[in-house]
Formats: sequence, structure tokens, C-alpha cells
Amino acid sequence: MRESPDSNLAVPTTPKGQPPTNTPELAGAISPQFGAETIKLAWWARIRIGKLALFIVSLFLFVLAIALMKEGAHGVAPLVQKTFSVTNTANSLGFGWLFSYLIMSGSPVAAASLTFFDAGIINKLGAFAMINGSRLGASFIVLFIGLIYVLRGRDRSTSLSMGLLSLAVTATTYIPGFFLGATILQTGWLDKIQLQSGAFLYSVIDLAIDPLTALVASILPDWLVFCAGLGIIWLSFSLFDKCLPQMSIKESRVGWMSRLVYRPVIMFVLGALITMISMSVSLSLSILVPLSARGFVRRENIVPYIMGANITTFIDTLFAAVLLRNPPAFTIIFVEMFSITMISISILAIMYQKYRKVMLVFVTWVTASNRNLVLFMVSIFALPLILLLI
Amino acid sequence: MRVLVAIHDLSIIENVLQFAAQIALKVDEPLAILAAIESTADHPPDRVDAILTEACQRAAIPAAQTQIQMGEPIKNILDEARRGNYDLVIVGDLTNHRPARLFGVSHAIRIAERATCPVIVVKGKAGPTQRILLCDSGSEGSPLLRRFTAQLADLLPGEEQVTVLHVMSQISAGPGVRGKQLRVSADELIEEHTPEGELLKQDIRSLEQSRLHPIPKVRHGLVVDEILDEARSGDYDLVVIGAYIGEGWGRFLLEDLAHKILVQIDRPVLLVR
Repeated sequence: MRESPDSNLAVPTTPKGQPPTNTPELAGAISPQFGAETIKLAWWARIRIGKLALFIVSLFLFVLAIALMKEGAHGVAPLVQKTFSVTNTANSLGFGWLFSYLIMSGSPVAAASLTFFDAGIINKLGAFAMINGSRLGASFIVLFIGLIYVLRGRDRSTSLSMGLLSLAVTATTYIPGFFLGATILQTGWLDKIQLQSGAFLYSVIDLAIDPLTALVASILPDWLVFCAGLGIIWLSFSLFDKCLPQMSIKESRVGWMSRLVYRPVIMFVLGALITMISMSVSLSLSILVPLSARGFVRRENIVPYIMGANITTFIDTLFAAVLLRNPPAFTIIFVEMFSITMISISILAIMYQKYRKVMLVFVTWVTASNRNLVLFMVSIFALPLILLLI
Repeated sequence: MRVLVAIHDLSIIENVLQFAAQIALKVDEPLAILAAIESTADHPPDRVDAILTEACQRAAIPAAQTQIQMGEPIKNILDEARRGNYDLVIVGDLTNHRPARLFGVSHAIRIAERATCPVIVVKGKAGPTQRILLCDSGSEGSPLLRRFTAQLADLLPGEEQVTVLHVMSQISAGPGVRGKQLRVSADELIEEHTPEGELLKQDIRSLEQSRLHPIPKVRHGLVVDEILDEARSGDYDLVVIGAYIGEGWGRFLLEDLAHKILVQIDRPVLLVR
């Protein structure tokens, strides 16, 4: 056990410096070889066939959805270009932002932006802006759930802090990231980074997906094919969420994790890794809740965690770019991830302490009064609307 | 109780000895004063000796064993602290030394972090120690307070005002979490028997046994910021914190908050081990 001015610095350890286990007696009772085999068997035993099947289904639906959206994208061109007047970069940003609010998810919107780009409805910069907008809109989800709790009479600060922090960190990294990424895209610095391989994946798609897509396209009009794709991708993400193991970590197991203050870089990597698996920032944030019996998390830990999560949340969009067989689409997502990583690392290296303080002060200000909250809510709806109407 | 007063910079000798003088009155053994100075043409050993003698007289330190070692101050002070088996080391630091504050490489902080015994880093203006801020982490196993009272009980005659501070830096991890405990005061936490409340209750009981009358306090916010703010706003004369003793993976994973406090604080700090 180690201690310092706060419990954060206290790490309960065994005499050998290892984190505590909840079954020390077992470790001493069995031989290392036997023990390792037992753990391996237990691990295999824990894999549920149902969840595995659900994962395969969700993956199939994702691939099918991308194919349908690609096929039907031309059908929504008039809607995007004429009805919503998405004709410039600012429009694309606002459109992606509001679209995410509407469907309460960012990933389907990001995938849709790539299909729009593939169909020539928006240009490279427009797709990049729409993807940025989709992330800004997606970070509203946690806040929205918090608002429901506030309306039910729960405390404003407790219910909204995490959502506000997530939104604030996303906005302050994605907005500078947008300008950096736009510069990179316009200068073509990273244009050579494109995924060339994937022959096996494409042959599988040709065999299993294309006939189905062709059938749907022959029955439905293009715009409805796109909408069907959008619905299916939304469904695939919902199913994928159900594939993830239920978090039942108790305080007695790794509860001490929530009491410590980790180095920002550790939390940054952790956020990135967890989101790489869960593919959703809001889901990886919800994983934090059962880590502590009381559902608390250290202020010090959460900001870099969100930063890391905001980068790897693009993994599914990267996969969507591969499925589209459009190399420049892959470059767009790569530039997005690269620019957000650069901005996040710069903040962590140069001004992290001040940045974290500003984020927390902002959250405190918004939750301080109903007036501030209303002002904030109005601004996050007005801003994308203004961008769309420019 | 064996106390080593370490001087590594002659510009702060007065401040360190002034602080050490009040410690000298509370301990039975005479202070050991070591001037470990970098060898420079401006400070030949005889000049250092003269400055040290004069400063001791001005600070009215009753009886002290003095010695001078030239070159490698950090190494010499740490070697002496180890060799002499001291219970406490007192070392001065230049509070407003900007390069040291920016990079955290001041000699005093290095000594405090590497020493094996408790260290008082004298920063800012050292006056009489009347108000003490004790920052308790609440970690299990080796509570700061138990070590503090066990190792340094001689320094507490009972006249000081001691505030026991626990900083809750938690926020709710999700919208559905009930977070009343994230806003309440120390007294409410004690009444509700929360983990933090139980910790404070235990601390108060322990200090009362040492004939002290502590005040429990809880602050909500970032740990380092809240400790620094409380130290300043409460105008404490001494801040007591636990040392970071990261081992193995812990050193790689965990933030060294003690270091941040040592670098940023503007008043004397006692680093307990």
C-alpha cells in the first residue's frame, strides 16, 4: 500500500507489488501450469455463443447497410443539396451535427457522409466537415440522458456533469482538429495513405452482400434504399452494443481503480483502447459507472479518457471507408483521426492543467443555474442551425 | 528526535534557520546543521562557515552541531540524512524560483522526494507554526495521520490549530448516479457514515488522543488545486502531505500529486513517510 496526500496515490498491492486479487488462496493452492490452464478454460467457458452470433449478425448488417447506403446515396442528393442546401463546408458541418442530434448517434451519420462523398454529393472537405459535425452531435447523447434525469427532479450538476464534460472536450478538440485536418486535406500531405488491400473482404461482399443489395435496389427507389441502409446501420450498432460483455465489476475487484489519480497519458490510452472495442464514446463512458460502487470517477482522470475515446471512435467509420472501396474516403477518416490525435497530444503536452481547469469551470458554470443551462442548450442547437443556413 | 537542517543555498539560510529554531525548542536533541554548498569562488568554506555561524546566532538556535560540505549538495544531504539516521530533515526552497517551478527540479524538492525520512520543505515566509493543514488521502493500510502522530508527535505540543482536509475530486460517472455526497460538507459526510466521513471521524479521534482539537474539512474539486487553495485561503503555517511511494507499475501509472504540491505551494510543507 502506498500513500500520498490523496487516496489517488494509494495503490493496494500484494507484497510483490502486484494488484490485489480476490482469490489469493487459489493462486497458492494450484501449480502454475495447472492454474494457467484453468484460467484459459475459464476464459473460453465465458464466451457466449449467443453473443458471438449477435456480433456476426451485427457485422453482417453493418456491411449490408454500407452497401445499401452506397447504392441509394444518389437518391438523397436532391434532399441534401436542394432541400437542406448543403453546398459548402459550413453547411456540411451543421448538417452532420443536426443529423446526429436527430438520430441520437454519430457513427451512422459519419458513414452516411462517406457514402455522400462516394456518390459525389459532397466533396472531400464537405465529407470531412460532416464527420466532424457528426461527432459534435453524438456527444450530445450523454447530455440528453442527463437532461431527462434533471426533468425527473435529479440534481443538475450530478446528472449533467459527464455529458457536459464530454461535449466540451469533444468541441474543444474537434474544432481545432477540423482546421488542422482541412489544411492537411487541402495540401494533400496524407493523400498517399490509403488502404489498398482487402481483396478477400471484397470477394466476400461480392458474394454475400451484392446480390442482396441488388435485390433491394430493384424493388425500392434509391432514396428509400439509402434510408433502409441508415436504419440497418443504426440497428447494427444497437446489436453490437448488446454483444459487449455486461460490466459487473464490483468495488471489491477493481474498485480501487476509481479512487486513484492516473497519469493523463494512461487515461488517454485507456479511453482509446476501451472505445476501440466498444466503438462508442457514450458506451465507453458508461463503462466507468460500475468501476466504483458509488458510480464516481475522479475529475483528474476523465478528461484525458474522453480525449482518447474521441480518437478511436472512428474505427467503425474507417471500416466503412474500406467497405466503400473508395481510397480517398479512407484518407478522410485517417486525416480525421490524425488531426484529433495531434490536437489532443498537444493539449496534453503543453497546456493540460489549464485546459482541464477551463473544462471543469465551464461545466460548473453551465450547471450553476437554469438560465446558464438554457443559454447553453439554445447555443448548441442554434450553432449548427446557423452553420447549415450560411 | 534527531533533526537535520540542510542548507544548500545561502540565499535562503535565514528563512530555514528561523523555521528550524522553533523546531529546536520542541526536540530534546540539538539540531544538526549541514551546509552543503556548490563549490564556487564566491563561497569558499571559511566564508560559508562565517555566514552559517552568524545566521545561527540571528535565529537564536540554542545549540547545534554544524558541518560544511562543498560540492554536490543533493548527494551530500541525502548521504548525511541516511548516515545520521535522522527522524526529520528540514530544507529550504526558493518559492519564486521560476525555472525550478516550471521544471520541478529544485534541489529541495529532489531532496524531499529522495530522502527516506520525513522532510519539511521551508518555502515562503517562515513564521511561527500555529495553523497546520493535514491533507489525508484516506488510503487503507498506512494512514497518513497514524504515521504523522507516530513519527512527529514531538512537534505537536497541543497549541496548534489542526485542520484535517480530505479532497473529494470525484464527479458522477453517469447521469443516473446519485451524487449528494459529492456536494456535502465534512459534518454531513460524518453523519451519513460515508467512507470519507468515517475517515475524518477516525482522524479526529486519533488527534484528540494526542490532545489536539482538529477541525474536519472536505473540499470538492481537483486534489492539487483544492489543497493549494485551502493552504492559501486558510493562511496555514504548515501543510502536511504524504509522500508518493510509487513502486513498479504504480510509478508508471499513477500521478505524483505530492510533487505537484511541493512545486506549486508557497508555504512550508511536511512530507510524511
